[in-house]
Amino acid sequence: METLLLNTLNGLSWGMLLFLIAVGLTTVFGVMGILNFAHGSLFMLGAYLCMQSMQIFHSFWYGLLIGPLCVVAIGVIVEKYLLKRIYGRNVSYQLLLTFALLLILDDGVRMIWGSGYYVVEPPQILSGIITLFGQNYPVYRFFLILLGPVVGIALWSFFHFTRWGKTVRAASFDNVMAEGVGINVPLIYTGVFALGTWLAALGGALAAPLQSLNPSMGDKIIIQSFIVVVVGGMGSFPGAFAGALLIGLLESFGTVFAGRMQMAIPYILLAVILLFKPNGLFKKGV
Amino acid sequence: MKRKLFSVLLALSFVLLSFVGAHASTPVKIGFIYIMSGPLSAYGQFAKQGAELAIQEINATGGIDGRQVQGFFEDSTGKADVALRAMRKLVFQDKVDILVGLDSSGVADTVVPSIAQMKVPLIITHAATPDVTGKFCNKYTFRISLNINQNVKAGALIANETGAKKWTTVGPDYAFGHQSWEYFQKYLGELNPKATFLSKDQVAFPPFNTTDFSSYITKVMNSKPDGVFISLWGGNLIDFVRQGTSMGFFNGDFQVLMSLGAATEVLTALGDKMPEGLWVGTRYWFLANDSPLNKKFVDSYYKSYNAYPSYNAHGAYSAVYAYRAAAKKAGSVDKEAIVSALEGLQIEVPTGVVEFRQGDHQAVTDAHWGKIAADPGYPHRILKPIRIFKGKDITPSVAETGCSM
Repeated sequence: METLLLNTLNGLSWGMLLFLIAVGLTTVFGVMGILNFAHGSLFMLGAYLCMQSMQIFHSFWYGLLIGPLCVVAIGVIVEKYLLKRIYGRNVSYQLLLTFALLLILDDGVRMIWGSGYYVVEPPQILSGIITLFGQNYPVYRFFLILLGPVVGIALWSFFHFTRWGKTVRAASFDNVMAEGVGINVPLIYTGVFALGTWLAALGGALAAPLQSLNPSMGDKIIIQSFIVVVVGGMGSFPGAFAGALLIGLLESFGTVFAGRMQMAIPYILLAVILLFKPNGLFKKGV
Repeated sequence: MKRKLFSVLLALSFVLLSFVGAHASTPVKIGFIYIMSGPLSAYGQFAKQGAELAIQEINATGGIDGRQVQGFFEDSTGKADVALRAMRKLVFQDKVDILVGLDSSGVADTVVPSIAQMKVPLIITHAATPDVTGKFCNKYTFRISLNINQNVKAGALIANETGAKKWTTVGPDYAFGHQSWEYFQKYLGELNPKATFLSKDQVAFPPFNTTDFSSYITKVMNSKPDGVFISLWGGNLIDFVRQGTSMGFFNGDFQVLMSLGAATEVLTALGDKMPEGLWVGTRYWFLANDSPLNKKFVDSYYKSYNAYPSYNAHGAYSAVYAYRAAAKKAGSVDKEAIVSALEGLQIEVPTGVVEFRQGDHQAVTDAHWGKIAADPGYPHRILKPIRIFKGKDITPSVAETGCSM
């Protein structure tokens, strides 16, 4: 019983973090058709800039606010001056460009902050332990579990109930027609890429109190985010949510039931989904 | 006619002069192979700093064999095929006189057998797999750093003192983690026949790329052990300590031993978040030896890099000095002569006197363990008390290593 509860909480908190990263990836893909390999590097940059802002302002909350916004500034520059040039071209250009970005960002961080490890402390209010059914559990992880759905619902409402959100969906559905009826599609693309970047960087800033900072921390998470996106359905919003929770819970319970096989679980899931439901659990649609 | 003869002579003298000059200034070349990129590049960086410090010092005091020393650094990236290519480049293209390095045990296991074909001496300074001075041992391969057996034997001696009976482990899910646990069970089992060890499916071996350790921490805490032997290292260990702290792991009523918990990169990153009172080990602790040589090394390293030397910096630094000692003993830098000179060589390095044992070429060197303690004089946690285990007490006999040369 205790094992069940703790593993569920572990799986949920890890899943929520994965969700934040995957939802950015899937939104950018759904709207712009860009598969961003550098998404993990933006996650890593979010963590580093959160750490840096914390050193300046001595508050995690400022770090959480300012760090991701700095990354968004970088994201906007990347979209306006690099991605914009390849929209009409072959997919291989996307792969090359975003992969090059990944390498540049990783090495850039290494040059600025070095290759050693950094740690970030959670804020005082979130650093304690809550006792739940006789089990101790860190407050920060509860915070993550609660934050995930809040961000998810906020994004979903944005896309479904606001004029801007509807415009974005229209542009992703048929960008030529959207442009024809007077929607500024290039502006929307910049905005969506900025949103995707912000989500990745926010994930990084939120992950910083959990894991050590290292220039290659993004490479680990990008693989799992890709799995989440494919399992949930490329471009699908609820798919990213379900996929992230599924991977998080399976990994967590895998340590109890699967032993060494645990490592393989996400990949087995990926293979099964591709075989029986190649479009993912949820049909495409932003 | 005379003019022609003069110019021929002049040309000839130039050729001769340049030949002589070239010979006198040909440096002794040392090839270093470390992980210089990727998540573990900090380890290569430390080693490079240690190596460069040693080369600087040696060049300032007459070099090796009267010649200046030049270091060639190559990136192994932690992959065996890349490391092998880098070694071939160093040996056949740069024509180095000796190879120094290797971080990853996996890489070491793969490349050591081909060292015998390249016929170049190799001093391993970090990789800890017992196999390279065990079943894969050969005439050209030496290791100056502490291996798994030595580090874990010292850990088992401490584990025995704690009186804890029921032990479990958390280790990275590859050869290093599994071998560490295997030796720990063997050595502690010999010291205390009453000690018990949790079965394979109850211990925790998180994959190397794990960043969320919470489910493993839960698993180990629920198994209610008396002692936990942790062989995680680097970023894994940092993540484990922080997540473990937030989940109350270190307040549990069990002993915690970390075989590589006293690594300076881990202590630096964790700062005052490293829980006090844990038993931790390392391959070299900068405060464990009061010798003038160690003090000088720590001081000049700190002056150059504004940090205390890690075990990897110490390994690379010592290997360069061991090479100089071997060259002195052999009277040349001829590769075969160096190999014979290294065999059985005793040399004082910062950690103490080490000996490249005949039979398997493993350095008989001290192991350092200690208890984590706070000290306002240092930017990170240090060890108090420090426990030093003599090399001869923790090194298994050549017969046990499975090495035959």
